Amino acid sequence: MIEEKELVSALQTEEAKEVAFSQLVSKYKERLYWQIRNIVLDHDDADDVLQNTFIKIFRNINSFKGESKLHTWMYRIAANESITFLNKKARQNNVSMEEVKQNAINRLESDVYFEGDELELHFQKAIATLPEKQQMIFTMKYFGDHTYEELSETLGTSIGGLKSSYHIASKKIADYIKNNEISND
Amino acid sequence: MKKNNNISGFKTPQNYFDDFEERLFQRIEEEQFPKSSGFKVPDGYFENLDEQILKSVTQNNSTEKKKVISHIPKKYFGYAAAIAACLLVAIQVFTFQDENPNIESIQISMLDKYIEDGYLNINLYELTNYFEDSDISGLNIDFELIPEGVLESYIIENMDGTTLINEGFNPFE
Repeated sequence: MIEEKELVSALQTEEAKEVAFSQLVSKYKERLYWQIRNIVLDHDDADDVLQNTFIKIFRNINSFKGESKLHTWMYRIAANESITFLNKKARQNNVSMEEVKQNAINRLESDVYFEGDELELHFQKAIATLPEKQQMIFTMKYFGDHTYEELSETLGTSIGGLKSSYHIASKKIADYIKNNEISND
Repeated sequence: MKKNNNISGFKTPQNYFDDFEERLFQRIEEEQFPKSSGFKVPDGYFENLDEQILKSVTQNNSTEKKKVISHIPKKYFGYAAAIAACLLVAIQVFTFQDENPNIESIQISMLDKYIEDGYLNINLYELTNYFEDSDISGLNIDFELIPEGVLESYIIENMDGTTLINEGFNPFE
């Protein structure tokens, strides 16, 4: 697999663009998919957003100046596409973003592509209660294993701010799990 | 006993020990979180994904290219926009003559719907060709009349995310 710099210059060359793009898709499809899936929750929605993300990447690669790393630029597009998707869904159904997220969570129990146990379902419910930004930071860090440096470049937030958001999110989730366990007893 | 006062040369970040306990307990709590999200994908999804993506990118790209080849000269887009806007205003004014026949009487939602339904089928990129920088700089918009939240959600919902990314836009700030 070629290095990122070479990949970028191949992507920006008309003759090599398509071959380089297939390499790019092959390298990043899974990582981008899981980043998106953790936000939109539903597989079919994640598939739609992933395709849109790659279309945007293909269309805009010539304007990529290399001021950030290619993969953080792509993660950023995926993050934007996911939020845009949820916003559009809310607008089309004339409901709030929170309702869209709540509906997605409610569907998880019967979702054939969700194989989580009760604790994992509970965990997803807790994550869904977080504000949009905290939710994205938490899922990217916890499931995506991104470094704070990468997240800072992707989300345009300072490392200090990210750490603080992550800890607040984590605390809220722990509290949610604890409180709901008590009510279940 | 010999006093051990050798200095290692290491140091910690400022206030490192102040919130150490809090961070430690949080870490212990986090240990109880599940390690998996619980999500799965259909069998063979990732194996066939490359092909699907390349297909949709190629299709999308050829559609984009087709859009550029237009039999209608560009200059007519401006006229089309003007005619469509005039028709819209005329319909609204004559349909609701009993009410106050002015531009304010047209509901924004109706205009939105008209455009969203595709009746005003104009490529915004084409339309911008008709504006000079001087036209834009001469615009006097009172931004105070637009609530900040409305402007923000309009941008998030309607702008091309990638363009904003290229300009260093942060969707969360």
